[in-house]
Amino acid sequence: MLELVDIGRSYRVGPGQMHILRDLSLTVAAGELVSIMGGSGSGKTTLMNIIGLLDKPTSGQYRIDGQDVLGAKARELSRLRNRLIGFVFQSFFLLPRLNAWRNVALPLMYRGTPEAEARRRAIAMLERVGLGERTEHMPAMLSGGQKQRVAIARALVGEPRVILADEPTGALDPKVSQEIMELFLALKREYGVLILIITHDPGVAAQCERQVVLANGVLTETRC
Amino acid sequence: MLTRVIAEAAANLLASRQRSALALLGIVIGAGAVIAMLNVGAIAREETIRQFRQLGTDILTLRADGLTGLGNFQLGDIEAVPEMVPGVAEIAPFVIGGGSMSFEGTTAGGSQLGVTAAFAHVSRLRLESGRFISDHDRYELYTVIGAGLARQLSNPYAMVRVGSGLRLGRYVFTVIGILEPVLQSPMMPVDIDSTMFVSLPNVRRILSNPSLSMAIARMRPEAEPEAVTEQLQRYLGPRLRDATLSVQSAKQLIAGMQSQMQLFTLLLGAVGAIALALGGVGVMNIMLVSIAERRREIGVRLAIGAEPGDIRTLFLAEAVILSVTGGLIGIGLGLAGAYGFAKLSGWAFVLSPTAAPLGAGVSVMVGIFFGFYPAVMASRLDPIEALRAE
Ligand SMILES: Nc1ncnc2c1ncn2[C@@H]1O[C@H](COP(=O)(O)OP(=O)(O)OP(=O)(O)O)[C@@H](O)[C@H]1O
Ligand SMILES: [Mg+2]
Repeated sequence: MLELVDIGRSYRVGPGQMHILRDLSLTVAAGELVSIMGGSGSGKTTLMNIIGLLDKPTSGQYRIDGQDVLGAKARELSRLRNRLIGFVFQSFFLLPRLNAWRNVALPLMYRGTPEAEARRRAIAMLERVGLGERTEHMPAMLSGGQKQRVAIARALVGEPRVILADEPTGALDPKVSQEIMELFLALKREYGVLILIITHDPGVAAQCERQVVLANGVLTETRC
Repeated sequence: MLTRVIAEAAANLLASRQRSALALLGIVIGAGAVIAMLNVGAIAREETIRQFRQLGTDILTLRADGLTGLGNFQLGDIEAVPEMVPGVAEIAPFVIGGGSMSFEGTTAGGSQLGVTAAFAHVSRLRLESGRFISDHDRYELYTVIGAGLARQLSNPYAMVRVGSGLRLGRYVFTVIGILEPVLQSPMMPVDIDSTMFVSLPNVRRILSNPSLSMAIARMRPEAEPEAVTEQLQRYLGPRLRDATLSVQSAKQLIAGMQSQMQLFTLLLGAVGAIALALGGVGVMNIMLVSIAERRREIGVRLAIGAEPGDIRTLFLAEAVILSVTGGLIGIGLGLAGAYGFAKLSGWAFVLSPTAAPLGAGVSVMVGIFFGFYPAVMASRLDPIEALRAE
């Protein structure tokens, strides 16, 4: 479903160029659960931004369902992100002024879903991630694990086909981290959604059916 | 969709109440000044009309200016004016004096006017009781007084009425008439409401050096003040000894007052406009600060699927809500200010029909104008940069 071919990404730093990704290729089929590991600064977040249509590579091709997406304009990219991709970030990134269900409903709002329906679906999704009791809570009143559940609900509410999670358990203790991982596994089974998890935790990576490691700008696959 | 954007923008503004309130201030002052100005202008215009309603706008006042002071008209020359000057319908000469009058131990200051019988008609005076001075009264010690003067001289035990005796200097005048209350007119050198009228012959008794230096005239309906003034100069000018004639017309005075008002209005308008512009810059500043602080929020919204246009609309809505709220408060304060001004000056309060809609419209415009740049800035943020922000 996702097809990256010879992706390169370099930053201009001072007079020279810094090549973070070099001729990186990756193909992921729908419904797969893939972990990406790699040292700090190896370019994992950079790669995720490219896959998530937030950033463009300096070279290479990127196709989703066989369609080239690198030529798309800002508005089109927004629509593609809204329909296709759900993001989960390390530090949750909930909007502090919106309560739990409004945070979750946000992707639907930007799609033009009527508020009543958006609310119903957001609350249903919060129930699914185990937060049915806390739909009106403000983010500041939630624990780290609960915040990440809200963020996962927000990523899933629009029924995307891809979930991109950048160190989703990085800010959580091992027990909560394991709960979140189990939630991801369950959601993958239920919704058949493709999940890419960037992680430093080998225990997390071990639960994924495919594991890739990013080093020196290229990916190498490790079979478990 | 729009109501949702407005609700969200309002919630964001409420979350940083203090800062929003500060940003409002400039708009409040600007809109307030504009509204107050428009309304005070309307009140003053209404008052001008009211002041001239008593005498009418077809009035002229004539004055003989001597080399060292007041000049003198010849009574005969004045009385011949309606015949000799085609534009004048009627005319009444008068002599001005000032001194205190007393009644039953109560003393009041005011002016005395020596007049002919024509005066009442020319200046449209109406009597509450009694009659006006007649040309047959000559040396009779009769007087007619204004309503205000009658009130000032009366006390609960002794009311001034027709038949009462008023002392002025060595003479006691019998009141033969009391006028209805009248507003002071910019066309008259004295306030008729607190004036004591006597016949021309009697003036010699109460003033040591009386001069017949003024007259009030009414033009014919179709006459133009400029032409009539010229005719008067041609006829009366050569007949004055050691004096020049000056003529003032109500129409010209009104025009003068109006152009003065316009200048005043323009000035206040400029002050309001500057305050509004400063307020707008304040809104812009607050929006830029707020956007800098909420970069990550913008990044998240973009990642979730907000289009750049959605971000622009959100921040534009915040700016417009800010300035409209400020505008509404300003309109309230401006109207209150105009009301206070009317109360203080004793004028009638009138609501200018254009003021409130104009104020509201202008504050929306200010919000859009000054909110546009920050909103576009926000919508152009690169999502990765925005997400990276701490
Ligand atoms: N805008 C930029 N300009 C220059 N260099 C950048 C820019 N963005 C990222 N980099 C560099 O790219 C490299 C990869 O960054 P990236 O955030 O992808 O690392 P990462 O693998 O996610 O690291 P971590 O595990 O610490 O999150 C880093 O060395 C970083 O300094
Ligand atoms: Mg990273």
